[in-house]
Amino acid sequence: MATSHPVGHVQLPRADAIRSRLIDTFSLIEHLQGLSQAVPRHTIREIVDPSRQKKVMLGDQHQLVRFSIKPRHTGQITHGRRLMSRLRVRCSQRPPLSLWAGWVLECPLFTNFIIFLIFLNTIVLMVEIELLESSNTKLWSLKLTLEVAAWFILLIFILEILLMWISSFFLFWKNAWNVFDFVVTILSLLPEVVVLVGVTGQSVWLQLLRICRVLRSLKLFARFRQIRVIILALVRALKSMTFLLMLLLIFFYIFAVTGVYFFEDYTRSTRQDLEYPMFFSDLLNSLVTVFILFTMDHWYALLQDIWKVPEVSRAFSSIYVILWLLLGSIIFRNIIVAMMVTNFQNIRNELNEEITHLEVQHKADIFKRQIIQRRQNLSPEVMRSSISKVDTRDPNQQRKSLVLPAAFEEESKHSADEEGSRTSALKIEEFSSKMKKSPSSSSSSSSYSSSSSYYSSSSESRHLDPIGQLDWETHVHQNLPGLMEMDQDDRVVWPRDSLFRYFELLEKLQYNLEERKRLQQFAVQALMNFEDK
Amino acid sequence: MSQQFHYQNDTRVISSSLLDNSSAEFCARFRKFQRRDTQCQAFVKRVIMSRLFKIIMISTVSLNAFFVVLWTDYNTKYNLFRLFEVSELIFVSIYSSEFCMKLYVDPINYWKDGYNLLDVIIIVTIFIPYGLHRFKGKHYPYLNIADGMQSLRILKLITYSRGIRTLITAVGQTAYIVASVLILFFVLMFIFAILGFCLFGTPDRGDLNNWGNLAVAFFTLFSLATVDGWTDLQEQLDNRNLALSRTFTIIFILLATFIFLSMFVGVMIIHTEASFKKFKLDLMAERHMALMGEKQVILRRQQEEVSRLMQMQKNADYKSFSELVENFKRTLQHTDPMVLDDFGTSLPFIDVYLSTLDNQDATIYKLQELYYEIAHVLSLMLEDLPQKKRSQTSENSEET
Repeated sequence: MATSHPVGHVQLPRADAIRSRLIDTFSLIEHLQGLSQAVPRHTIREIVDPSRQKKVMLGDQHQLVRFSIKPRHTGQITHGRRLMSRLRVRCSQRPPLSLWAGWVLECPLFTNFIIFLIFLNTIVLMVEIELLESSNTKLWSLKLTLEVAAWFILLIFILEILLMWISSFFLFWKNAWNVFDFVVTILSLLPEVVVLVGVTGQSVWLQLLRICRVLRSLKLFARFRQIRVIILALVRALKSMTFLLMLLLIFFYIFAVTGVYFFEDYTRSTRQDLEYPMFFSDLLNSLVTVFILFTMDHWYALLQDIWKVPEVSRAFSSIYVILWLLLGSIIFRNIIVAMMVTNFQNIRNELNEEITHLEVQHKADIFKRQIIQRRQNLSPEVMRSSISKVDTRDPNQQRKSLVLPAAFEEESKHSADEEGSRTSALKIEEFSSKMKKSPSSSSSSSSYSSSSSYYSSSSESRHLDPIGQLDWETHVHQNLPGLMEMDQDDRVVWPRDSLFRYFELLEKLQYNLEERKRLQQFAVQALMNFEDK
Repeated sequence: MSQQFHYQNDTRVISSSLLDNSSAEFCARFRKFQRRDTQCQAFVKRVIMSRLFKIIMISTVSLNAFFVVLWTDYNTKYNLFRLFEVSELIFVSIYSSEFCMKLYVDPINYWKDGYNLLDVIIIVTIFIPYGLHRFKGKHYPYLNIADGMQSLRILKLITYSRGIRTLITAVGQTAYIVASVLILFFVLMFIFAILGFCLFGTPDRGDLNNWGNLAVAFFTLFSLATVDGWTDLQEQLDNRNLALSRTFTIIFILLATFIFLSMFVGVMIIHTEASFKKFKLDLMAERHMALMGEKQVILRRQQEEVSRLMQMQKNADYKSFSELVENFKRTLQHTDPMVLDDFGTSLPFIDVYLSTLDNQDATIYKLQELYYEIAHVLSLMLEDLPQKKRSQTSENSEET
């Protein structure tokens, strides 16, 4: 871009970034190409706000709206809320059944009731098992009540699943906890149905019945948040270890097959005093033996047993056993432990993301407050002087605006810019807490002309003490990312020409700063070359 | 004589330089050596890299692994003997042709990849039974060992699975640590084996079964370290009333199991964590660089657009950007609101930026004052100095 700058000009990346931001915000390229209609002039607030919407709709309705998308941390949007935003639901006469079902399912009374029923199921089961063997006729009524209670609880569970289906059939299957609930309920339903149908008499089904009733207590896992978190963490840790487990399986396979071949003579030996002759007889036994060696149980006894057979070479069998022990149970097991620990730490950090996010926001808030306080502490003198100056200026300057005044006078001294913007920014800070989003109104286009009095008056107020133990710059660098990602919608309303001027001045400021740096270096050079003659 | 020596040195220097020259020439010619069969090479390379080839190899290896499992059972081997022979032929031919193709494509760099070396080792193990069969006869006692090694063929699958490869590279970095801990462990066992042999392995009173020679002593110690059946070993020592046996065993178990093997776990955890963090940082940095690159591209495109616009204007010769947008600026009204919520135009940013600039100003102002002071002090020193110097120079001039 040599044509756009005079010769000897240094390209600053920051200045380029500011200029590109200016071009973006004002869509200058489209304007300069003559496509002014392609530039959006309205923001989304004018459409969403009903009062402004009327004003816009009265005018020309073929206008473009600028959307600005900022990623935000919203909470979970439930299915019910999504349904309420649908056109079909909003225009219908009665709300759909799924909304009611969703409301019932989320109602705390209902969820507590279900938890209570699960506990009751467990208790009923325990009492039933105790009373199963006794044939006391007086307890017959108690048995009947227990049976009825069990059936009632099962019916309520089925009803809950039906409610979830009504609420949303497809979302039901996407949630793993719901699928788990469904499987458990069906499993416990099946034996009862079978008994009812009439395949009676087989005690195997009755036993299954008891077992499956116990499974219903597992539904408790889905209800409590802490248990859910633990199970989720476990599942995620296992998922990240799939390849490790696959590698382990490959090694199991290798050593099992090798074991069958290596110890053929041991299997076929006719000695009578062998304790584990069938351990390597075929592949399945070999696999079990490899697992036994993996848990390091009685490996030395097995090895000594193998040594009793003279046809098996001692060297190879010892190498086999020792190699498998080192590789499998010592190295692999510790790798598994290490990966689990690492994964648990990562998972815990991710699950605490919400908490860390809130912490970061809190710190950014404190930082913001510090900035404001600093300004107020720093320049009461400046404010006094500025107010005295301001009074002599344009009287119809309204103080209710929170926008910057229009034009900064260009100065070669960049400090003048800072002065003007700082005092005006101070005013902005005063009123920002009260009226953040009120639209701009006529702030006068008075310009603050600089004077050296500003410079001298503020020089005394520049006794800056550090914040805590850190100097200001380190403090800023630490807190800046948090400030940049704050959740609050800090929307600032700028008048258009002020914004343009702001960008221009910011760019000039960068060049001025660069020049000052070079001048400073010259001064240092001059001082260093100072020699006595 | 010194000249003779020099002469010999010279000749040696000359001859070595000759050798250097010739070898350098040979290397240069070797490097510039180009294969004539580039088209065939490219074709074979395309075949090797194709998906179909990978699928064929994966299915072959899996089928081979399955057949090896079936082989272990004697009955199945007896009934399906012919099928096994034919399939074995097919598998061996597939593996050898894969090896030949890969070697043909790139003979020099083939040996640099670890997985290719694994392929070579597996092919060697495949051909061992045939070799043994031929050269040592049918009843060689170690034939079943060679057969057992055929199970290693499944390791060829690792080449085709990216997940396991990344896992192995991640775990492989801890191999150095693992090796050093194992060596340390071995040294510890060595010390205690010698000690145990001397204490408990004496031929007259000692427990010859478990401590008789060094190898058995090693095994006993390993059994103690993995705390499997150590009470039986200890019982045997107790039965012979050997002195210090309990102390010895307990001290070794504490050292080996509790300290060493736990240290092993700890070291591996730390390394895995470190490599994990490094992996994540690398990923973040890569993403960051990609983002920066994209931003630069957008910025450059914008600049080119603006410069093109400026060059295109026929009416006036715009010397700078501000002249270009002069007209546009005049259309801007003060009453037009623009709502922005990005960070660069927000009030906290302005505050922070200006405060930081204020700080810089203050620092430079203080620096300037210090410079003035330094210059002032130096000038004062300079004033004081000429009097002494004038007297010195006058003395010097008197001397010379």
